[in-house]
Amino acid sequence: MKTTVHFYGQLTDITQTPVLELEGIADTDSMIKDLLEKFPGLSQAKFSIAVDNSLVQNNTRLKDNTIIALMPPFSGG
Amino acid sequence: MTEKKIRNIFVNGAVDPAFVASSIQKHNTKNSIGAHSIFLGQVRADVINDKTVTGIEYSSNEEMALTQMTGIREAIFAKYPLTCMHVHHSLGKVKAGEICLFVFTSSAHRKAAIDACEETVELIKSSLPIWGKEIFEDDSHQWKVNS
Repeated sequence: MKTTVHFYGQLTDITQTPVLELEGIADTDSMIKDLLEKFPGLSQAKFSIAVDNSLVQNNTRLKDNTIIALMPPFSGG
Repeated sequence: MTEKKIRNIFVNGAVDPAFVASSIQKHNTKNSIGAHSIFLGQVRADVINDKTVTGIEYSSNEEMALTQMTGIREAIFAKYPLTCMHVHHSLGKVKAGEICLFVFTSSAHRKAAIDACEETVELIKSSLPIWGKEIFEDDSHQWKVNS
């Protein structure tokens, strides 16, 4: 079971990569736990989570081949 | 069910002032229009801790941004009697002094065009997944924060 995580904005300064593939992740809570172990700096960062382009607030179950976006506060314009 | 039309708002690099002029020119056959309102965002050479911003590099979650912009466009057209609306936002590097955002609304009378333009700019800045990386003269950077 594959999950593709895209990092945006200042989060890429922490992860040093714009995208990461994870295996065997059941839901967004366990994904965040996994990411915090890989990138402890993310614990200081503010971001919202989108699952297949829809923002989620609560723990969300993930299907195979889900695309995740981790997005810090927007600063366009 | 009709499919929503997703328009691309993104341009690579700065918005060319000549493009702004030609956009205005293109409306001269739409005779029901009595008012245009235009917002142009320009990159500032801010000085932060004695370092000067030379430009902003924009990135986006493009698919989500374009979907979100389609929703903003529908909400603005539902709220104001607009004839048309055009939005162009830069991606990639835009140097200080160059244009990074162009919002253009047109209506029969001025109030709708002015109010719709202002509201659209605010929604673009607050709700589109776009990020600005402010690049300094020594190639260091900080991430822009919208007020």
